Amino acid sequence: MSQPILTLTGLRKSFGPVEIIRGVDLQVLEGERHAVIGPNGAGKSTLFHLVSGQFPPSAGQIHLGQTRIDELDAHRINRLGLARSFQITNIFPRLSVFENLRLGTMQRFGLQYNFWRPVRRARDVAEQTETLLEQVRLARHRDTPAGELSYSEQRALEIGITLASDPRVLLLDEPMAGMSREETEYTVGLLRELTCGRTLMIVEHDMEVVFSLSDRISVVVYGQVIATGTPEEVRANPAVQEAYLGSGSAML
Amino acid sequence: MNPTNPMDPTNPMDPAPALARVPARVRAADADRAAVPAMLAGAALLALLPAVLSPGLLNAANQMLIAVLFASAFNVLAGQSGMLAFGHAAYFGIGAFATIHAMNALGGEGLLPTPLLPVFGLLAGGALGVAAGWFSTQRTGVYFSMITLALAELIHALAPHLKEVFGGEAGVSSMRMPAWGLDFGSSLQVYYLTLAWVSACLALLFFFTRTPVGRLALGLRENGHRLKFLGYNVHALRLLVFVVSSAFAGVAGGLQAMANESANYVLFDVRLSSEVVLNAYIGGVGVFFGPALGAALMTLFGYFVSDLTRSWLLYQGILFVLIMMYLPTGLSGLLPWWRAHSRHQPAGRLARLAALSLLAGALLLAGTVLSVELLQRVFAQDYQAQLAAGQAWPAVAFLGRDWLPGAPSTWLLPLALLAAGSLAARAAARRWQEAGDAAPAAGDGGPTP
Repeated sequence: MSQPILTLTGLRKSFGPVEIIRGVDLQVLEGERHAVIGPNGAGKSTLFHLVSGQFPPSAGQIHLGQTRIDELDAHRINRLGLARSFQITNIFPRLSVFENLRLGTMQRFGLQYNFWRPVRRARDVAEQTETLLEQVRLARHRDTPAGELSYSEQRALEIGITLASDPRVLLLDEPMAGMSREETEYTVGLLRELTCGRTLMIVEHDMEVVFSLSDRISVVVYGQVIATGTPEEVRANPAVQEAYLGSGSAML
Repeated sequence: MNPTNPMDPTNPMDPAPALARVPARVRAADADRAAVPAMLAGAALLALLPAVLSPGLLNAANQMLIAVLFASAFNVLAGQSGMLAFGHAAYFGIGAFATIHAMNALGGEGLLPTPLLPVFGLLAGGALGVAAGWFSTQRTGVYFSMITLALAELIHALAPHLKEVFGGEAGVSSMRMPAWGLDFGSSLQVYYLTLAWVSACLALLFFFTRTPVGRLALGLRENGHRLKFLGYNVHALRLLVFVVSSAFAGVAGGLQAMANESANYVLFDVRLSSEVVLNAYIGGVGVFFGPALGAALMTLFGYFVSDLTRSWLLYQGILFVLIMMYLPTGLSGLLPWWRAHSRHQPAGRLARLAALSLLAGALLLAGTVLSVELLQRVFAQDYQAQLAAGQAWPAVAFLGRDWLPGAPSTWLLPLALLAAGSLAARAAARRWQEAGDAAPAAGDGGPTP
């Protein structure tokens, strides 16, 4: 059994009087692909916001490995090796696709405060960026402003930017939303390849993707995890069938 | 959710709408290819300028160079990083005072002789930038602008009370001491000193845009929120960019102090802060040399037009409003726009369109100038003092002619010019629109009719 790399303990988050996350305990194991599913408004994205440092939790703790991260700034969490994508495309619209990816890559080569060396000289950054460009299949749009890409291309870019900082733990928030069948299939293959040696936590509504890609699945309903287990276990869980999918659980 | 999300299209301080009109591909490619040769050609031209200029004009050219550097330094924040700073006079001013005190203290000797003294402007501007930037860069958008404005006003209010530092009403004066075999007594030598500093600083600022932090500045402008999740300390980055901008603004101030051999707390006035904003936006903040272009043209405009008319500030204001309304990418936005059109239009049609536009511009200009100048003369105090009750208003002189304010013909001429100009402008706008529609790619680039 591998070690837990991400541990959520008694996590709670309220916005004013509304409690969105109502006590979540969850362990993501090192190297696994862990999907988080649940109905709309269950708090899946909020969970990602808490883990990635967008907001501090109201109560509870988050550990990345042995390090407590729930009080850290977002950029510190990223440097500890956790990167996330966004459900609503969050790119640099007027910069070229290449530039978008390069902004993500530079940090990992320690160039974040460098103003005395032209960035073009940094071969390693350029090579890494080109590789990433190929991987997310955007090489032919290298010099296109990101804002001019089609929606699904922007989704691919979003994943590319997230991967650019070479994270140990990758949080993807509905990466396939709005993609065609073919694009989804490609992206699933890509994720399988790129998450080798990494840990993936993914929110996704496409059940086919979830059940084929994940090692384990957690079901979030109304701010709480009601079940965690392998796809088979989750599929067989009566509470999941009842709460999440109603009686007609054809999707599972 | 996030009140200062730069992705928010309603963010009022975001310069994005103005830039969005020129496709980024065109912008980047043009800037890359044109910048270095343009820089060298410009420097060579400026180096030859003294051969043809009178000393008075040479002083104006010196002022122009300083304004060019100031606007370019400002644009590191406004155009490149999307942070609209409203108090840049503070860094210009502090640079001027630091340099003037260094001139007095060092006497142009030792390790830092006269020509190197603007380095104190760099240090002082940068140091004040660290202090002021640490506060202001914690916020973005409107809040950032307000903090920079407040801090600059604080210094402006404080300066007259700190007599030892800022010299009170009289200011602080000094002398340029000889060094390196030059006496720096003539405007020619001062001009070359300024030119050397400005060229070097512009080259450094241009280089800065090519470095990782320079690229990250663009990322700050586009989407600072995302940068946080890529592991960047966004506050530290904003601060770094702020300090680069304020340090080079300090050099501009230092050069001004060298040229004038004095500095006065009036330098901290908000007018200087707003002038640099106007210059940068008139030239266009979207390209590296846009603000430099704007500053150069507006300095020359000020120099020549302020000699001709008392209403020159009004003309400057009208110009700014017109450019912001019809050419939001600034004057430098004209080039890619023209290129996009010339790629798709036959030259003859383009020439006719350009001629029509120029005609419209000339008519509107003539109509505006005539009405403004006549009104200004009629409402002038000394003219109003001549009026006697029950008598016709005497004629005013303009362009070697007498104009009777009571005669309808006096006002019909400017009105007719304005009407004809408006019609011509409307026709020109319609035709540009048609030309743009015929070639869709050309349509999204330029001035809106």
